Amino acid sequence: MSAPAIRGLGILSGEAAKSAQAKSADWGSAGAISGPPHAKSLKNETVDSTLQILALPRPDRPGDRFRRATRECLLALAAVDAMLEDGKASREAIAGERTALLYVTAAAYGASNRAFIERRGGVMHFAYTAPAVVPAEVAIEFGVVGPYGILIGGAPATLRAIGQAARLLDAGTCDRALVLAVEIFEECADLYARHRRSYRWPLVETAACLWLERGGGELSFESARGGPRAAGVAGAGERFAAGPLADLRDWRARATAGPVELSGRWRGEQARLHWSPEKSHARGSAA
Amino acid sequence: MATPERVVIAAAGVVTPIGQDLEAFWSSLVTGASGISQIERVPVADLRVQRGGEVKKLGRIKDWRGVPDCRASRLLIAAADDLCAQAGFRPLPLDPARVGVVVGTALGGVEEGERALAGDRGRRRLPEALYDGPGWSLARWLGARGPVITVSTACASGATAMAVGADLLRAGEVDAVVAGGYDALCRFVLRGFDALRSLTRDEVRPFDRRRSGLLLGEAGALALLVRERDARGARLGTLRGYGSASDGFHIAAPEPEGRGLERAIRAALADARVSAADIDLVSAHGTATRLNDRIETAALKRALGRRAHEVPINSIKGSLGHTMGAAAALEAFMCLLSAQRGLIPPTLHLEEPDPECDLDYVPGQARPGHPRIMLSTSMGFGGCNGALVLEAAA
Repeated sequence: MSAPAIRGLGILSGEAAKSAQAKSADWGSAGAISGPPHAKSLKNETVDSTLQILALPRPDRPGDRFRRATRECLLALAAVDAMLEDGKASREAIAGERTALLYVTAAAYGASNRAFIERRGGVMHFAYTAPAVVPAEVAIEFGVVGPYGILIGGAPATLRAIGQAARLLDAGTCDRALVLAVEIFEECADLYARHRRSYRWPLVETAACLWLERGGGELSFESARGGPRAAGVAGAGERFAAGPLADLRDWRARATAGPVELSGRWRGEQARLHWSPEKSHARGSAA
Repeated sequence: MATPERVVIAAAGVVTPIGQDLEAFWSSLVTGASGISQIERVPVADLRVQRGGEVKKLGRIKDWRGVPDCRASRLLIAAADDLCAQAGFRPLPLDPARVGVVVGTALGGVEEGERALAGDRGRRRLPEALYDGPGWSLARWLGARGPVITVSTACASGATAMAVGADLLRAGEVDAVVAGGYDALCRFVLRGFDALRSLTRDEVRPFDRRRSGLLLGEAGALALLVRERDARGARLGTLRGYGSASDGFHIAAPEPEGRGLERAIRAALADARVSAADIDLVSAHGTATRLNDRIETAALKRALGRRAHEVPINSIKGSLGHTMGAAAALEAFMCLLSAQRGLIPPTLHLEEPDPECDLDYVPGQARPGHPRIMLSTSMGFGGCNGALVLEAAA
């Protein structure tokens, strides 16, 4: 299939949040974000201090509509804002029925599910427990009303979503496609700690949105069971579905021309996406 | 543009409140049986509405060794057992690496999350609580080693899963896909819908003037999808097209004019390369909420034009409740069985038509009919709209 062109990429990362806390640096293009990230010990369970979660604070978004919105929803909106800033585009550029929206997460819904189960945080609107509500908030806020898809899983699901976006663009089903990935961990820190050996710590909260349009290179996707754990995952730690978009950010930051290979593993599935753009999509060159 | 490769629905398997195999499910639909009962498996004494479409005893599989103690996984595997019995698909008759699993769900294994938070420290609780857990359990049970994909487009999930499964086949990634949907009744969802005041104390009456809400149900529904050139022997029909569109309106309420559903229907017709005039039967989402049925009627009228007034349109949610992630797959199977058996199941409990829902919603009894091209519509939380176009087996 044809490789899509990257029009913009916005990322909020717990890594950056940690660094910002230490250095009092600004929040880059993430928009207004308040409150320090913090690790929690929930339900009186001791969380091993070596099991660190690099958390993102809840974005502060004005407007009564967001009064009850969950942290994962607000982070998704902030990621789209960051993507628009990266692409130097207004929100009107992505509005309408010719924009597809593909959302991927392995576990971001865990926080709202838990809040609803434990009846915490005031009145949790039940609809917010559905993974579908994260892209719904993006659709409502930015007027994105085209085809959509929601995949549940880790990095391979995100690579597959990029492939699906490329197919939708190839087929002319849409003119642009957004691949949105959000992962948050803090509210369920104690549960992840119970399964500490299943994950690569620290867990890095990440919200990212990738804006793709038709391109001219080649894109190929393959997946298989087993094999060694993928190398080259951005930074240290685990980002679940958001990992490949963080890798893509790093690749663009290196201003590398030529192909990029994104890879990821989840529950024993190893997936690779080989992306050979017609011309470089590296930031600062042809992006 | 080249015509996309046709994808065949070779067989289907189900577990539902009205029957734990495809034949029993069909018999109950055409005879007007109801699967609604007092919920017994989880405590409901504190809830306003305590009924639903509960599967009382998962009787198909006698030996659950190696399968997680997870209701959602077991519903899915029970449906797969029915599918495999019909299609001779276990042990797998082809390279396991060429068999994919694509399932849709609104809730995944959330009940496992409830158990984990209540202090159950079982090793499998958290992996099963993630919404893709049951899909992986199904793949292990089948012995499939191809892609395992879970989609969660709320109550349109079953439609999305079948479309994604067809895409895997067209992309040549696999040679067979087990695709469909599931969801289990649990405290989490019962409490949620109870709080939303969406549940009725009356019967579920789609398109009836007196309709007052939905009841939830649980089910698993799976199809075996293969490329037409690979299809051998009997088949249920063909998956011709799929369309989706977001409302971009509200997180829980549908867009008042049904514009998102209309776009999804138009996209599905275009994908299937058929026109509204070709449609012979519509399986409506038909939840029996005040808003849904009125909005769906309006969307069907705009998308299908005059044809909307000429074709039978039914909803099977009066029989088994709203089975969430399984609903769209079950409704697709109902369409294909209607074509195969020459009977269109009625919309149960539709007795006093609503003037605002003035299409032919098949009240009363099953009626004869031989639809060839069928449309199935779905709507869900977050403004998810999906539509499938199906074709009867020749």
